[in-house]
Amino acid sequence: MPDWRQYVRRNLPRLHVGPLRENAIVSELALQLEQAYNEAIAAGTPEAEAAERAQRQLGDWGTLAREINSAEMMESPGPETRSFLSGTLRDIRYSLRFLLRNPAFTAIAVATLAFGIGGNTAVFTLVDAIALRSLPYRQPDRLIAVETRKAQQPELEAWTSALDFFDIREQATTLSSLAGISPVWNVTMTGRGDAEQLETLYVSADFFPMLGVNATLGRTFLPQEDNRTHAANVVVLSHAFWEKRFGADRKVLGTNIVLDGSTYTIIGVLPTGFRYAGEPLAGTSTEIDAWFPLAANPLVGSARTLRFLKLVGRMKPGVSLAQSQDELRRIGTRLAEQHADSNRGFADDAQYLETQVTGGFRVAMLLLLGTVGFVLLMACANVANLLLARASARQREISIRTALGASRFRLLRQLLTEGFVLAALGGAAGLGVAWLGLRFLIRIAPSTLVHAGEVSLDGRALLFTFMAILVSASLGGLPPAWRMVRGSIESALRGSGRGMVAGHHRLRSTLVVVQVAVALLLMVGAALLIRSFQRLLEIDPGFRPQNLISISTQLPPGANTPQQRTAMLRDMRAALNQVPGVQSVSAVSRLPLLGSNLGSWLFVEGKYLPGEPGYDVEYRVAAPDYFPTMGIPLRAGRLFDEHDDANPGAGILINESAARKFWPGESAVGKRVKLGNPDRTPWITVIGVVGDVRHFGLDADPRPEVYRPYALNPLGAPILVIRTAVDPASLSNVLSAKIRSVSAGVPTYNVFAMQDLVDRSTAQRRFVMLLLTGFAMASLLLAGVGIYGTVSQAVAQRTQEIGLRMALGASPGAALRLVFQHGMLLTLAGIGAGSLAAAALTRLMSKMLFEVRPLDPIAFCAAALALSGFAALACYVPARRATKVDPLEALRAEQA
Amino acid sequence: MGKADIATRDLQKGSAEMIVLALLEGRSRHGYELAKLIESQSESKVQFHVASLYPLLYRLERRQLVEGRWVEKAGERRRRFYRLTPAGKRALAVQRQTWREFVSVLNQLTGFSHA
Repeated sequence: MPDWRQYVRRNLPRLHVGPLRENAIVSELALQLEQAYNEAIAAGTPEAEAAERAQRQLGDWGTLAREINSAEMMESPGPETRSFLSGTLRDIRYSLRFLLRNPAFTAIAVATLAFGIGGNTAVFTLVDAIALRSLPYRQPDRLIAVETRKAQQPELEAWTSALDFFDIREQATTLSSLAGISPVWNVTMTGRGDAEQLETLYVSADFFPMLGVNATLGRTFLPQEDNRTHAANVVVLSHAFWEKRFGADRKVLGTNIVLDGSTYTIIGVLPTGFRYAGEPLAGTSTEIDAWFPLAANPLVGSARTLRFLKLVGRMKPGVSLAQSQDELRRIGTRLAEQHADSNRGFADDAQYLETQVTGGFRVAMLLLLGTVGFVLLMACANVANLLLARASARQREISIRTALGASRFRLLRQLLTEGFVLAALGGAAGLGVAWLGLRFLIRIAPSTLVHAGEVSLDGRALLFTFMAILVSASLGGLPPAWRMVRGSIESALRGSGRGMVAGHHRLRSTLVVVQVAVALLLMVGAALLIRSFQRLLEIDPGFRPQNLISISTQLPPGANTPQQRTAMLRDMRAALNQVPGVQSVSAVSRLPLLGSNLGSWLFVEGKYLPGEPGYDVEYRVAAPDYFPTMGIPLRAGRLFDEHDDANPGAGILINESAARKFWPGESAVGKRVKLGNPDRTPWITVIGVVGDVRHFGLDADPRPEVYRPYALNPLGAPILVIRTAVDPASLSNVLSAKIRSVSAGVPTYNVFAMQDLVDRSTAQRRFVMLLLTGFAMASLLLAGVGIYGTVSQAVAQRTQEIGLRMALGASPGAALRLVFQHGMLLTLAGIGAGSLAAAALTRLMSKMLFEVRPLDPIAFCAAALALSGFAALACYVPARRATKVDPLEALRAEQA
Repeated sequence: MGKADIATRDLQKGSAEMIVLALLEGRSRHGYELAKLIESQSESKVQFHVASLYPLLYRLERRQLVEGRWVEKAGERRRRFYRLTPAGKRALAVQRQTWREFVSVLNQLTGFSHA
C-alpha cells in the first residue's frame, strides 16, 4: 500500500497555516485517499488502478491548496463577534492567572503604575480646578475683564476710576453689559453682639445678572438701587455668612443690620459656594460676607485719579474679543484726550476673564502637568522593562502557541490584554494614590492657589484616570508585546531563542536610555526651580520680618477729623506699648508684600516743566517709629519726628530707588518735590532717604517711593506693626484685645506675623518647586530601578561569558568593569539625550525662573552628577554579583 | 458542457453547504463518510468532488457552524469527525426555510407541481 501521507505531503503546496494545523489537514486528506484506495481494492480492483483512482480524488493540488487557504483565512462577522468577546474574557482571565502566579512581579508593576497614574490624576485634578476648568458662570467664554493700565508700567495691577467706568459703560457698543467691582472692603457690623469685621464687595447692579447668578433667597440689586446720586442701603449676603450669622433663617429678608454705623436692609442671599473668580479676588482665598450696590461705595464720587475698580463685561453675541479690544482701546484714547490731567499715560484694554483668573499660574500648572506626564512615561517604561524581563521566561509558551497556529494578531491581543489588565490594576490602586495625593497637594498648596472644597476627584478625574490607564497599557504593553510576537516567530522558525533575547536586550537598553533622559530633564527643571528659589530667599525684603506682627484695623466712623484720628492712633500705640513683650509700635497705610498701593505723581524741582507728566511713585503714610519698628534702615538725612507730625509743611522721606532715579550721583536730602497736582500743592523738602523695601513681592524690583507723616494724612484704616521680644504668634490675641479696648466698634483683622507674609509671597514658587523636586526624585528612583533591572538581567545572561572569562584568567575587577561599563554607557547616552531635550524645553519655563538662566550650567551639572551617582549605585549591586560568578558553575551550566 | 449542466452546477454549489449541514444533523460523520453519502443518496446526480468537500468543511468549521474532532475508536483508525454546532443548527434551519420559500415561489410561477 502506498504511503498516502507522504504522497499528500509531496504534492500539496505549502499552506498558510500553523504547522500543527497543516499537519492535521494533511492527515485528513491522506485518510480520504487511503479509504478510497482500500475500498477499490476490496471491490477487486487491481492495485495500480485502485491507486490511480484514489489519486484522482483530490484533483488539482494548486486549486485545492488555494481553496483550503481561503477557507482557513476566513473571518465570519456574526459568530466571531461573540468569540472576540469571549476571547477577550479568556485573555483577561489568563492574564489575571499569570499575574497571580507572579506576585512579586505584579506588586512591583502595579505599584509603579499606581504611582504614575495616581500622581497624574491628583495633579490633573488640581490643575483642572485651577487652570483648565471654565468659570462657573453663564457662557463664561463671553466674559471679558476690562483693564485700565499705565501704558509705561503694564506690570502694575489694573484699576479703573469710577468716572472712567461710567464713560466706558456708556460708550462701549460691543458689550451687552459692563460691571464695576470694588476692592475687598472691610466694614464693621455692630448691634448684634460683639462688633464683627466683614469682608465685602461693592458691585454695580449689572454684576449678578451678567454672570447669570440668581439669589437663592430674595433677589440681587435693582438698577435703581445702584443709582449714582442716590444709593439704596441694601445688602446681599453670602450663603456661608447667612448660615453662620443668621442660622440660615429664611425670614432674614427685610431685616436691618448696622454696618459702619449705617442701617442696611437685607434683600437677598446668594447661592451656596458663589465666588467671584476674577480680580480683585483672583489669587486670594478671601470669602466675601456681604455685597453692596456700587453706588453706595464712599469712593464712587471721587475723581478720575482715584482708580479703585475692576471691570468685567459681557460681549454681545457675534462680537469677537479683538473687536471689543479695538473699541475699548479707542475709548481709552478718547478719555486720555478729554481728561488729560488724570488719564494721560493710561490705556484701556481687555482680556478674557478666564485669562485674568488663570494667567498667573497657567505656566506653573502646565509645567506640573507636563512633569507628571513624564513621570507616567517613566513608570510605563519601567513596566515595559519588567514585561520584557518576563519575556524570556515566557518564550517557550509563546513559541508553542505560535506553532499551534495562533495568529500574530491573536498573540498581540493577548499580550496587550496583559498590559491592559496590569494598567487597570495600577489605575485602580492609582485612584487611592490620587485621593491621598490630592489631599496632600491641597494641604501643601498655598491658599492663594487652591480653594478648599473646589477640588475633588470627580467624573473628569475618573475619565482622566481611564485615559491614563489606556496610555499606560499601550506604552507599557505594546513594545514588549510586539517584540515578543516578532521574536517568537523568528525564533520559532530558527528553533532557538537567542535572537530574541538579544532583541529584548536592545529594546530594554533603549527604554533605560529614555528613562535616564527623562529623569535628567525633570531634574534639570527641578534644579532650576530650586536655584531660583534660593536666589529669591537671598533677596533682602528691606525690613526684618522676624518677631514682627501686623494687625489691620479701622478707626470708628466717629473719628472723622485728622486730629481725632491721630489722637486715637496715639492711644492705640500707648495701650499696645504696655503689653509685656512689645518693643515698639507704629502704623502704616500699606504693608509691604501685600500688593498694590496708592500711587502719586512726583515733580522734581528744577526738572519739572509745566504741562509735562510727573514721575509715578508709590505713596505711603507712616506713623513715627515706623522705620525702626520695621527695621527699615535710614540711608541719609533723618527720619520723621514729633516735630514733623505737628507741622503741616513737613518734609517727606524717599526710598533709595527714588533717590537714585531722581538725583543720580547726588544727595537727595534737602531737594524739593511736589506731589499730586503741581499747580495746587506746595514744594516739599526731602528730609531723608530710607532703604528699599520689596513692597510687591520678593521677585519684584523695588519702585520709587515716598513716605509722608501719618499726622498729615491720617487714613481711616491704619495697619499697625508691632515689634515684639518674643514669638509674636503668642501675643496676637492679647494685642488684638488691647486694640479693641481703645474704642468700642474698632475691629482687628488680618492679624499675621510678617514672616508669614514673606513666606506667602514665595508660596506659589515654593509649592511648584517642592512638587517638581518630588517628581524629579521619583523619576530618579524610577530610572535607578530601570538601570538596575537591565544591568541585572544582562549579568544573568552573561554569567557564562563572565565565568569563561574568569576561568581564562580575568580578574573580578575586570568583570566589575565590564558590567559597570555597560550600565554607565546607557546612563551617559541618556544624560546626553536628556541634556539636549532639557536645553530645548527649559526655555518654556523661563517665566518661572528668577535670576537663573534656563541653560544654567550649575543646574545641568548637578542633575547629571546626581543621576550618574545614582546610576553607579544601581550598577554596583549587579556588578558585585558578577564578580562572585563561580567559573566552574558557569561552565557547567553552559554544558547543560 | 450544456446549459443544463451549468445550472446544475450552480445549484449544487449553493446547496452544497445545506447538504453537508443536513447530513450532519443528528449525528457526527467523518469526511469520507460524507462524500460517500452524498454520492449514494443523490443517486450520483449530485456529485461532490472531494477537492471541494474538505475546503467546504474547513470553511464551515471556521464559521463555527460545524466542529471537527479527532476521534480514535477501538480497532479503527483515528478519524476526524464533524458535528453540527448550535450555530450550525440555526444556520441549517434558516437555509431550509429559504429553500422552501424559493421552491414554493418557483412552483407558483411555473405551476409544475399543480399541473
